[in-house]
Amino acid sequence: MAALGVTHLVKRFAGGVVGVDDVTLTVGEGAFTALVGPSGCGKTTILRLVAGLEEPTSGEVRIGGRDVTWLPPRDRDVAMVFQNYALYPHLTVRDNIAFPLRVRRTAPAEIVRRVRQAAELLEIDALFERKPAQLSGGQRQRVALARAIVREPALFLFDEPLSNLDAQVRAQTRAELVALHRRLGATMLYVTHDQVEAMTMAQTVAVMASGRVLQEGAPMSLYRDPASLAVAKFIGSPSINTVAGRSTGARFEGALSCVLHAAEASGAVLAVRPEHLVLGAAADASPATVTLVEPLGPESLVRMRLASGEELVARCAGEAPWHIGDHVRVGVAEGRGLCYRASDGSRLL
Amino acid sequence: MTRVHRRVAMATAVLWAVATIALSWRVLKGIDEAARSREALYRAHASQGHAPSPAFPPSIEASALASVQQEERPLIVHDPDGVELVTAPVKDADDWEIIGAVALYGRWRECALRVAAPAIAVLVVALVLLGSASAARWSRPGITALGGVVAAGAAAALTLSQLQAAAAALAPRLVVPPTLARLALPSPSLAFAALALVLLAAAGALAVSAVHWHAEAAGRPARVRETLAAWGFIAPSLAHLLVFTIAPVGFLVWISVHDWDLLASDRPFVGLAHFREIGADPSFWRALRNGLVYALYVPATMVAALAAALVLDQPLRGIKVLRVVVFLPYVASTVAIALVWQWLLHRDFGLLNAALAAVHLPRVDWLGNPATALPALMLVSAWGQLGYMMVVYLAGLQAIPASLLEAARLDGADAWQRFRLVVWPMLRPVSTYLLLTGIIWSFHGFTLVYVMTEGGPAHATDVLVYRIYQTAWEFRRFDVAAAMSVVLCALLLALTALQWRVVKGEPADA
Repeated sequence: MAALGVTHLVKRFAGGVVGVDDVTLTVGEGAFTALVGPSGCGKTTILRLVAGLEEPTSGEVRIGGRDVTWLPPRDRDVAMVFQNYALYPHLTVRDNIAFPLRVRRTAPAEIVRRVRQAAELLEIDALFERKPAQLSGGQRQRVALARAIVREPALFLFDEPLSNLDAQVRAQTRAELVALHRRLGATMLYVTHDQVEAMTMAQTVAVMASGRVLQEGAPMSLYRDPASLAVAKFIGSPSINTVAGRSTGARFEGALSCVLHAAEASGAVLAVRPEHLVLGAAADASPATVTLVEPLGPESLVRMRLASGEELVARCAGEAPWHIGDHVRVGVAEGRGLCYRASDGSRLL
Repeated sequence: MTRVHRRVAMATAVLWAVATIALSWRVLKGIDEAARSREALYRAHASQGHAPSPAFPPSIEASALASVQQEERPLIVHDPDGVELVTAPVKDADDWEIIGAVALYGRWRECALRVAAPAIAVLVVALVLLGSASAARWSRPGITALGGVVAAGAAAALTLSQLQAAAAALAPRLVVPPTLARLALPSPSLAFAALALVLLAAAGALAVSAVHWHAEAAGRPARVRETLAAWGFIAPSLAHLLVFTIAPVGFLVWISVHDWDLLASDRPFVGLAHFREIGADPSFWRALRNGLVYALYVPATMVAALAAALVLDQPLRGIKVLRVVVFLPYVASTVAIALVWQWLLHRDFGLLNAALAAVHLPRVDWLGNPATALPALMLVSAWGQLGYMMVVYLAGLQAIPASLLEAARLDGADAWQRFRLVVWPMLRPVSTYLLLTGIIWSFHGFTLVYVMTEGGPAHATDVLVYRIYQTAWEFRRFDVAAAMSVVLCALLLALTALQWRVVKGEPADA
């Protein structure tokens, strides 16, 4: 196990496209960090730079305190789990798992022991003689994990490993990966575009956009206090509600209004989580028309349109008493409005 | 059967009848014209010491001369009364020199109906039976199809026996000029007739079955109707395959077990005599051995092609141009390649020898020396095939997911291990394909040999296909050539079967 440190990492591709733009990131020893962001934000490029599959334009990658920036992948002691699993189709499950040990010329007895150990950990020892084509998506994922584990690397890299699985298997594998991380105590860097995965699995989440890390922190702190409008919009499902308007310093004025304690007056965007919208007779309530009610069981999502045309979604506990076409009044729960500058999306309050 | 279906059935029967008549007509026109001739006129060279022959009428004279001088084959002409007749050359007893010509009046018109009649009768009976069978509701599609095939087979058999009877009955009327030891008239013979009639019979059977199926289709599940439609769609290509591939192969096999002389009227069955002949013929075995040695260029070229593909797979500037250049020889005409290489390999003016001379090595007569001729041909073949194999390998390389190679890099594999443990096994289906199709094609190799060496020097480049060609067209031993072709065909079939097994055994990609 070793810590990963990435300092001022820049990757410019041929043609001038900037994939990674001055990223500094630390994953502590034994920590589980998720890189999350929309596709094309550079998160996979960072992963590939750390793995050594790409060479950085500038910057430094350190694993366990050792500068590995210019080392080939095989000398970095990292294991990677690919989105499509990258299992060798011509090899059996056993040989796939043993591959990293074989190419490193580990003693045969040691190979047998470690392959069995890894397979038992992931409960795939019954599949040893099968070829990847004969496995389900979940089983392939486990084989890919076993192949990563068997080497006992300093650092695990995950490149959207769950996105090819169906929803049920994905939720299950998520929990198993967290358990695996606990048991191995391994350092893990996990790339995903799915903020739910990032929030539920990682101890630290780094949100990226356009090659930069926008914000890094514990999942709930990102949810509660997004430093910018982009982070606020990216974290949370359904997505945060936004309404454009003005900050007067003491109040936000727009299609929704609420009390602020901002220092400056400027064009602003109000962002409110769906569970922080209050339906009913709140003090600052604005009229809206219900356009859709989605009952989810323990909670309901109520979608509505303000008179000014903005769409909102509110989350309320249990069954919602409204129907399509109902006129409701909607307001912001006290102290829950997040306000951002309209100019650059930075936090106003 | 509803009325509509009955009508379709009758239309099928009429079509069958018309086709049978037309075919019998064509066939009988070709079959043993001599056997059905009512008189023959001939003329011989005075130098051969034959009695002067009766003169041809002027219109026939020209045709007879033409058939002797140019074609060596029969010509169909009309006499001044508009009656059709055939003129053909006559050869001497050694079947060597053309010593005259005959003109024969045919009487084939009356035969056609006689031959076609039983076929039509059987078909009509079959149709009526099938109609009543489906009305009685005990019929099954299988029984119907079987009935159709049996009826068609019976029709074909009857037709053939009629044909033979007709030929036999007319044979004594053949006028053989007593002074000519052997009247050489080519005849397409009964083989063509048999082949055509069997095909027609099969078509008739299919048609009858199709009508019957259609009659019952309305009450059947969609799956069956789909099956019918599917057969309908593949029918044209199936017919093409039957007529232009399977039938000629059958004909080839037929020739291989008969004494087949282009200009002889009788072609007796000889069993496996031709096969025994080629088995005892050292030149056949030499050709086979040469072919096997020649085929070695395939694995050698594959190695070069894989190396080229690995190089050209790199994302370098201008790499596409290079790929095109390597591929170019494959699209060039083989004859052009052969001619160019003939010059490159020339003893006195060739580029290769000029290069050797430049470094003070002795000149080599590449194509004139039995030791170097076959390797030289292999070199040219390799050069021509390299581009194709390279492109196939390139496609194979590009089909390997990049993530697989990246995973191998992360797993700690060096470049050689990545090639040996990932790339090479992933390319195995491609390699198998290239190897087997390459060997199959190498056995087909003819153009290079024909243009560059003509099998020489001293039979050093005599490969099987060239041997077949020479046997057939230079030695005029079509039967022996056919037997060789059958052996070659069996050989290639075995290779193809092997290829199928290997390819089928490949695991699907994950």
